[in-house]
Amino acid sequence: MTKPTVEHAVLDPKKAPPFPEAAFNILRNTQLRKNVEHATDVIQNRRNLLVAEKTDWQELRSAASVLRAHVLENLRHYLTQFEERCTAAGGLVHWATDATEARKIILDILRQEQASEVIKIKTMTSAEITLNPSLEAAGIETFETDLAEVILQLAEDAPSHIVVPALHMNRSQVRDIFAGKMNRPDLSDSPEELTGAARSFLRQKFLQVSASISGANFLIAETGSVVIVESEGNGRMCLTMPRTMITLAGIEKVIPRFEDLEIMLQILARSATGERMNPYSSLWTGTTPGDGPQRFHIVLLDNGRSEILAKERERQTLKCIRCGACQNSCPVYRQTGGQAYGSPYGGPIGAILTPQLMRLEHAKTLPYASTLCGACYEVCPVKINIPEILIDLRAKVTDKERVEELRFFDPMYLGMRIANLLFLSERRFQFAQHLGRWALQPFTHKDGWIRSLPSIGARWVMTRDLRGLPQQTFREWWAARERDDRR
Amino acid sequence: MRASLFVTCYNDTLFPETGRAVVALLERLGVEVEFRPAQTCCGQMHANTGFRSEAYSQAKRFVRIFQDAETVVIPSSSCVAMIRDQYSGLFEELGNEMLRSEFRALLPRVYELSEFLIDKVEMEDVGAYFPHRVTYHASCHGLRALHLGDRPFRLLAKVRGLELVELENLDRCCGFGGTFSVKNAEVSSAMLSSKLADMLTTRAEYCTALDNSCLMHLGGALHRQFAAMRTVHMAQILASTEAEPMEATL
Amino acid sequence: MNSRDKVLARIDFATGKNSTSPATSYAALKREYLREGRLHSEERVALMIERLRDYDAEVLECSPDDLIPKMKAHLIANRKRELVVPSGLPRAWLVPGFHWRIDHSLTLEQIDRCEGVVTGCFCAVADSGTIVLHHSQMEGRRLLSLLPDWHLCVLRESDIVETFPEYFARCTSAPPLATYISGPSATADIEMTRIKGVHGPRYLSVLLLRDAQH
Repeated sequence: MTKPTVEHAVLDPKKAPPFPEAAFNILRNTQLRKNVEHATDVIQNRRNLLVAEKTDWQELRSAASVLRAHVLENLRHYLTQFEERCTAAGGLVHWATDATEARKIILDILRQEQASEVIKIKTMTSAEITLNPSLEAAGIETFETDLAEVILQLAEDAPSHIVVPALHMNRSQVRDIFAGKMNRPDLSDSPEELTGAARSFLRQKFLQVSASISGANFLIAETGSVVIVESEGNGRMCLTMPRTMITLAGIEKVIPRFEDLEIMLQILARSATGERMNPYSSLWTGTTPGDGPQRFHIVLLDNGRSEILAKERERQTLKCIRCGACQNSCPVYRQTGGQAYGSPYGGPIGAILTPQLMRLEHAKTLPYASTLCGACYEVCPVKINIPEILIDLRAKVTDKERVEELRFFDPMYLGMRIANLLFLSERRFQFAQHLGRWALQPFTHKDGWIRSLPSIGARWVMTRDLRGLPQQTFREWWAARERDDRR
Repeated sequence: MRASLFVTCYNDTLFPETGRAVVALLERLGVEVEFRPAQTCCGQMHANTGFRSEAYSQAKRFVRIFQDAETVVIPSSSCVAMIRDQYSGLFEELGNEMLRSEFRALLPRVYELSEFLIDKVEMEDVGAYFPHRVTYHASCHGLRALHLGDRPFRLLAKVRGLELVELENLDRCCGFGGTFSVKNAEVSSAMLSSKLADMLTTRAEYCTALDNSCLMHLGGALHRQFAAMRTVHMAQILASTEAEPMEATL
Repeated sequence: MNSRDKVLARIDFATGKNSTSPATSYAALKREYLREGRLHSEERVALMIERLRDYDAEVLECSPDDLIPKMKAHLIANRKRELVVPSGLPRAWLVPGFHWRIDHSLTLEQIDRCEGVVTGCFCAVADSGTIVLHHSQMEGRRLLSLLPDWHLCVLRESDIVETFPEYFARCTSAPPLATYISGPSATADIEMTRIKGVHGPRYLSVLLLRDAQH
């Protein structure tokens, strides 16, 4: 029997196993790997085609990058401006320092509204603060409305992608979940039919439920407006039908002006889903008489973001607009999907964001979950240099472990220190080359190859042979040649 | 023209034939090659694993050793990328102004092998002869950090007898990633097997690249699987001629 | 210290004092992407039509004179009888023979029962095939173009711009409400297979009203 890949529906970095361990379990799930590979191939190919047709793509990327950096430099200005304009338009602005506070604010609002049910638009930020379990615990029934989130909620599974959270499942898996949980044994596995089932399942909820929760793609400082980008129309339903609406947004989501959407909307859809534009984007400002919810709350969430802001190199992490392009391009993510990262934020962005949000106390293996191949940086529409941040975080993890955990005799630490001493002297290096040749001799077969090794080396020879050390190093050859020349 | 060869620590130890091929190739093209024996490592392994101060010491050492070289040629994209992308950050943080200015002066004279041939020597046809079916693996650092572009292809196109077969998913990593290959050995191996599948479809006799690190990974797996395909650094292909064919290695 | 002050204090600590004002550094930001289209008006219209059809929207062209007959024929062809419209839609467009529900505070159920909706739009962007609603009296409140399964939108040729920046240039002030529609509601959540119509209208028709000279 194979082990289930995820035992809990909530991805919490505090409880997640280290990346190599989580990945190891997932790698045995060949169906999941096939599904992830297919989905990322489709999005990646479409994205590449549409980016190629956009003649000003690099200029848009540069503009988006400098705009987002500008916002972060002036974050107080833009956040307080947003607060002022949103309040003037009838919105209620709340501030949350951390996840606990954000959950409490949202719960208090819903209790005040006497809401027993709430409909939700897909929001990764709510997964970050593990909102759903606390709503359920408080007796508030939560209905996800994005198709992928519906699938995950019914399957009690966790998201594996920022944009397409159920991409690790195929149609027959979805069919089985729907047939069981919606009591629809008649369903076939055609995506049309499954989508239709979700449509009728949710239609009544949209018409009845009086409160909704959303995330935000952009907050516009100049006008106090909020923008949500989506495909299915479930967002528009949640934005217009209920009496009360709550938006949860990270403090970094703000952009200066309405016109700045001309950059952000153009880069987001192409990067996220490989479309020229996503089917629906909605913008609203506080409350509007006669149109949509008459009570609008927005919760501005810090939860570790201001600490990332304080770090010079890492600050660029906050430029992220959650398009997921880095995930689709990442050769590591393509093998494991997002759940291995133990956080709603998987893939390269998750590998840098999660450890920082966790103040490096958790998720310390994530910065190493990359070959530094640079594919993520190349596709990032706001030019986040993810490899650079990964290396930086690795340095922070190393420094911390060295000081706090005294890993003096840890083979990795010991090995790296010794290697450094060897590299700092020609004679020591040359001695090490000789020593290595001598030490590997017993493991080297007659054909010159090594098939088994102890310790860390065993991890290498698991799937790869290693060529034994040649009898003459390059420097020995060079020295011999010089001697011959002189003769 | 004089070129100082930074052979890199792992080529020196594991792939001396690549270093010998660079020497043979450059000397054939009339370049005077020197080798400074004080050289060891560029510091990449330490930097990428998070050992910043150790990486800094090695980087400083590299600059001191090569600062008066006319040009430095390196047959390894990832080491060149280390120097170009990470040295300035390390020196900014840990070094002094003198080191920074020495580095700034040296940097424009540091070349990856294919850059050196195309941009500095300005030669596409290096007079090589290699009558084999070959596929080219673009290493991530060569592709995305150094932006080598079509340089490797221009060089291979002029090799007499060589039949170049295109490798699918050229831009995808082989899964080596330095210590990644042991820290995340399972994921690394999964990436490796996707890459091998693409490689074996080419039915090439040789897979070549400008990085022996990727090739050590790929070649080790090919050997494990008893595959007929071999890996070879591009320097060795470019060094071979009809009179002096590639020296036999494992 | 309340949470607001705490968060803002952390931000101040993180960003330090900025010597330049946000307005100055904002004005200096580089924007080298295309701000204006490069197409002739005929090419622009053709691109708009191509993009809409690419999204599976149905596109019909008409002159100001045959708007009414074209609309009528299209409604009949799609077997629509009961339709909801925003209060500001020209009365002349409400061709006889159909049940027109004009939205003077209709209930959700009344709107949900309608077979379709007819609206105008603020403008459209050819490059991405996007229809822009600012929810004026011609376009109706947001629900109106959402609940019915079938949406017919009348788009004037002169309201087509080529690029997104040109749309923003058209806005004299930022709208308090806006919806950008690029094709019918869709999802690709199951195996990346694009399925039309999840919660929004499954069918989008665009009646392109050509300028008089054509």
